[in-house]
Amino acid sequence: MAKKDTINALIRRGIDEELAEKLANEGYLLGDVESASVEELKDHMNEEQAKDIKKKVGKKPKKKKKKSKKKKKSKKEEDIDMSTPEKIKPLKGVAKKLDKIQDEMGYDLPRSIIKNAADRIEEEGVEEEDYESILEIIYDKYKSRKIDPLDSVGIVGAQSIGEPGTQMTMRTFHHAGVAELGVTQGLPRMIEVVDARKVPSTPIMEVHIIDKWKKDRDKARMIASKLEVTRLIDIAELEIDMADMKVTIKPDMKKLEEENIEIDEIVEKMKKLRGIDAKVKREKDTIYLISEEAKFSQLHQIVEKAKEKKIKGLKGVERAIIRDVGSEYVIFTEGSNLKKVLGIEGVDISNTFSNSMVEIYNVLGVEAARNSIIKEAKDTLNEQGLEVDIRHIMLVADMMTNEGDVKAIGRHGVSGKKTSVLARAAFEITSTHLLRAAIVGESDDLDGVAENVIVGQPITQGTGAVKVKYTPRNDEGD
Amino acid sequence: MKRSAGVSKRVGSIKFAYMSPEEIRNLSATKIITPDTYDDDGFPIDMGLMDTHLGVIEPGLRCKTCGGRVDQCSGHFGRIELAMPVIHVGYVKEIKKFLRSTCRECGKLLLPKEEKEEYQEQMDQMERMGADSLDIRKLAKDISKKARRNKVCPHCKAEQQKIMLDKPTTFREDNTKLTPKEVRSRLEKIPDDDLIPLGMNPDVVRPEWLVLSVLLVPPVTVRPSITLESGDRSEDDLTHKLVDILRINQRLRENRDIGSPQLIVEDLWDLLQYHVTTYFDNQTSGIPPARHRSGRTLKTLIQRLKGKEGRFRQNLSGKRVNFSSRTVISPDPWLSINEVGVPEKAARELTVPLNVTASNIEYVRELVARGPEPTERGNYIPGANYIIRPDGRRIRVTETNAETVAEKLEPGFVVERELKDGDIVLFNRQPSLHKMSMMAHEVKIVPGKTFRLNLAVCPPYNADFDGDEMNLHVLQSEEARAEAKVIMRVQENILSPRFGGPIIGAIQDHISGLFFLTYKDPIFSRREVVSIFSNLVTDKIPEPAEEIDGNKYWAGKDIFSHFLPDDLNMHFRASICEKCDECIEEDCEHDAYVVIRDGKLVTGTIDEDAVGAFAGNIVDKLARDYGNDVAREFIDKITTIALGSITLRGFTTSIQDEDVPPKATKQISAVMDKAKSKVRKLVDAYQDGELEGLPGRSLEETLEVRIMKELGKARDEAGNIASKHLGLGNNAVVMARTGARASMLNLTQMAGSLGQQAVRGERPKRGYEERTLAHFKKGELGAESRGFVKSSYKDGLNPLEYFFHSMGGREGLVDTAVRTSRSGYMQRRLINALEDLMVSHDETVRNTANTIIQFEYGEDGIDPQRSKGGIAVDMDDVMTEFKVRKGGE
Repeated sequence: MAKKDTINALIRRGIDEELAEKLANEGYLLGDVESASVEELKDHMNEEQAKDIKKKVGKKPKKKKKKSKKKKKSKKEEDIDMSTPEKIKPLKGVAKKLDKIQDEMGYDLPRSIIKNAADRIEEEGVEEEDYESILEIIYDKYKSRKIDPLDSVGIVGAQSIGEPGTQMTMRTFHHAGVAELGVTQGLPRMIEVVDARKVPSTPIMEVHIIDKWKKDRDKARMIASKLEVTRLIDIAELEIDMADMKVTIKPDMKKLEEENIEIDEIVEKMKKLRGIDAKVKREKDTIYLISEEAKFSQLHQIVEKAKEKKIKGLKGVERAIIRDVGSEYVIFTEGSNLKKVLGIEGVDISNTFSNSMVEIYNVLGVEAARNSIIKEAKDTLNEQGLEVDIRHIMLVADMMTNEGDVKAIGRHGVSGKKTSVLARAAFEITSTHLLRAAIVGESDDLDGVAENVIVGQPITQGTGAVKVKYTPRNDEGD
Repeated sequence: MKRSAGVSKRVGSIKFAYMSPEEIRNLSATKIITPDTYDDDGFPIDMGLMDTHLGVIEPGLRCKTCGGRVDQCSGHFGRIELAMPVIHVGYVKEIKKFLRSTCRECGKLLLPKEEKEEYQEQMDQMERMGADSLDIRKLAKDISKKARRNKVCPHCKAEQQKIMLDKPTTFREDNTKLTPKEVRSRLEKIPDDDLIPLGMNPDVVRPEWLVLSVLLVPPVTVRPSITLESGDRSEDDLTHKLVDILRINQRLRENRDIGSPQLIVEDLWDLLQYHVTTYFDNQTSGIPPARHRSGRTLKTLIQRLKGKEGRFRQNLSGKRVNFSSRTVISPDPWLSINEVGVPEKAARELTVPLNVTASNIEYVRELVARGPEPTERGNYIPGANYIIRPDGRRIRVTETNAETVAEKLEPGFVVERELKDGDIVLFNRQPSLHKMSMMAHEVKIVPGKTFRLNLAVCPPYNADFDGDEMNLHVLQSEEARAEAKVIMRVQENILSPRFGGPIIGAIQDHISGLFFLTYKDPIFSRREVVSIFSNLVTDKIPEPAEEIDGNKYWAGKDIFSHFLPDDLNMHFRASICEKCDECIEEDCEHDAYVVIRDGKLVTGTIDEDAVGAFAGNIVDKLARDYGNDVAREFIDKITTIALGSITLRGFTTSIQDEDVPPKATKQISAVMDKAKSKVRKLVDAYQDGELEGLPGRSLEETLEVRIMKELGKARDEAGNIASKHLGLGNNAVVMARTGARASMLNLTQMAGSLGQQAVRGERPKRGYEERTLAHFKKGELGAESRGFVKSSYKDGLNPLEYFFHSMGGREGLVDTAVRTSRSGYMQRRLINALEDLMVSHDETVRNTANTIIQFEYGEDGIDPQRSKGGIAVDMDDVMTEFKVRKGGE
């Protein structure tokens, strides 16, 4: 979200969209751009553009060392194969042949059916000359099973997802399971999905590892340790030394080795502690934070801040657990930071998920977000043992992502965007909608269902959508 | 009633606008000045709130405006001329926006001309590109934000001052109060052109109108007063509020005219503002709500519209109807699934309109002549309740006037005929969660006082007979009946669009009955077969399977096969399948692999997976491939046969079904003891610090997880021991295994052990300090102290176990209560968001704004109801058909 705000802020200051987005993607916030020098900005664009930006956004130039680090990182990212995986794999073998034949026959069967048929044909070893007659049978069935025009798929879809919601409630029984991560499930999770909650109540990532490493437990452990946040308190002991007014940090060497952390790294991190006046000094394996001010409260504050300082790992990832799922090692994390995970070496970027749809939207875009909504909703229902046709879920997901971003089902999202005043008024916040409609001079064309019910005339779907006009013969002459 | 023409008119669109003071004056039938309502004789006072110019609510009086009577005149508006203007609460935010973004001197928008034009252009373009009002409102907000930043007017160079809003209705400019009058005069200065960029349409409204100088008074029909038994009148809340307004208005006018001190006038002015504010919205934040004498808060205009009980949701989105009835439901296995049993009493009241024509006049005459409650040899036959003349007059048909009324009938009359067998009605059970909650049935008149339905339609309605009530609606037009019959009939809804499988099918005893009929293919004597078939009226009995000692015997599987289509071929695993490692299919020793060849059940047992609701493979196949008629007939017949079979055998279950031999009881208790000691060991290990943590878990969590696992295992083991001694010769087990009712888990809980009770997915741990109950030591972590129930239901629970069990039980109850409301709201939101989506003729899915939501419904354009469990074309079927075709050539 912050990124979007930054982009908007930059655009408002007269910077063109592409550039603004680029800057935001590099992790710049508005303040950063303001204080960045032309030289720093030049890394991301040509000089002219940089100067232009400075002119529009710039404040007094202030040196910040941060930027050079950022640059290094982005270079590293370039080494990783970032090419988009192929979206649709072309048909092969029997499927390809079938596709060709159906083209000749003038059929338009969906890919999934062709593929399904091809698998079965191969299995049964049907002669090639019979392909045509099989396709004929398939096409007959396909045609008879198509949806009717004017069918109110929306309502049926909503009911199909809503109705099992009441059944989810009944099944509170769940067995003492495996040592899994606690994940919100059942109805609360379903509500979370349709709400398009920014951060789910239990964010989770499923991180797969690239093929060549996925069977290597050590590599998996290495990646996992890169993900998991390690705080100072996890690897060192902190003591307050009242006599010298300093804080002593004694790292646990065993743990350091386990986590693969150098003491210098800690020193670096300690230097970056914000909002604290303390000098950092290293003596062999001990680090001292010497307070500028000789006050106990000050020392105490330093301890509190230092304790929580992240030494390693990705922000938000509280735990990373490696699980052997048979054919490979997969890392499950509690807490989610998809963007950063995708930048880590060894992570299979085409096969890594977060359960936060909004995060996926921010990192990968709407299409991915749509798929994520479908996946999450489907998994939630299946976990409860409820059968719901995927088409209903797709419809919900498509409705939520129709305008290019993820919108919630409800008054702040999809329903609030309805064109009809009456439909909006009938849903929630009745008075506001009516009052606004009056001064804008809105008019309601009565196209939807709710409006027509209110007015008391047939709705415009199904049989009500067919317009047949006839003038009755006047038999009686009246 | 006039003959309905072929073309019905529709409301094309509804436009919203704001009423100008002038419009209000022109519209109003009278000016209202006196706060009194009735004089001493009980007649409405002229120019009072109940003035007969505003319409009438008492019979006998005539409206002074239109001359109509109570049911003819729908009322007329009046007006109150406010002594001083007041602000409309609904628009304070808008007023604030206007005050802040226009100049205090010249009234122009605080933006340079070019900028304004630029925005204007942007807005025009948005409109051209079809932006809706919401997008435009957003832009208007941006514009006003921008304008607000200019501290000096770019037009007249006047310096602007900060305008604050003291909620709810007081404006301040640099700490000096702006009276509504001043606000109004400022708003008056804003030119029309500057309104558009601020999101106001000058064609329908001027900003100064948002400060009210005239108040529209709704007709009396909108706020009727009621006369109590004591003869006192009780006025509507709105009238009360209007009385308040009038009183203060009068006092304000008087005080202003005699030149009272400014302070007094202002106080009264504020009071008037308060009353007008609460008249619109009595829940305005920042001011106390106006109350009735009794202390009840008044329901004023916005409260009338808002919320679940408001006009929109209560009266507009849902309406009360006639020709409906509601009563308790009860089961009737002799009805078809398409039928509904309607008690005579209800059938006498519910009517179907019949148009009298030249061709049916004889029949209708006879019908009317029967009177309202005819019988034939003591049996119900339909009569007529009303006849409606072409001029709309209704005449009640009574016992006495029936014959004369019948004579008067002519073509063009409408007769309201009582229900008879075969009429199409809608049947509904709340909550109506999906379309199968309201289906069309054919009427069957039955004695008694309850609606009756076939048991196979319980699943879609989610009905049982523990006192459930259902609603019935009689369709009134030929179109509606036709549509209901084609689209809504029960047999059209055998397959659910939710998952593409049957939702109507055999349940409970049907399944047990078919199990006994088909499991291991028993044989039946002639007597028995006749008994099984006795409830089917028309069917022939199949050929006997064998002859022993000159007596003919019939095989159970043959009896079932009798109802299958001759060309049906299927094979699948039954519900009683034991999930062996390797399936030997047809040779299954448990008779759990169903094979149907050319309409004959060769092997396998018929149970839930064959004919059950939600799972029945055969029902599914019949409905999809042979049509709904065949499927309906099949369900009707096999359920009847199933009941014949189970009646023949007899079926009962009791707690003795869960009896296990003492040896098993000993084993179970040994398992429990072992588990407990294991738990003890785990706890000891934990306390000694020897327990190794699971990755990513604390030691406490690890302990909990491992204990839960251990105890779960113990329960399962106990269950296994118990179920080893419970075979298919046991009725309770038959029900569990065939899917008729209950599960093996339920049985093991009765016979073996209840197992660990969970609260929020964990062992109970709260209660007393560091212990769950005072009976335990502090910090005790063993099995018993944390809710493990060793006993079974049959053994009975000891007091401690009982306590933990009720903790788990209570959680379940609370959970259900909380989640039903949550899921209801989720469904309401889903429906509201998706209700307008429809497949259009080009196969795309669009909403009402004609935006494409999907290019092809569900990515393949397949109707989930017609798909097979979501799969568009089932290759099994295709291959079978292909082989048949090929073999035929």
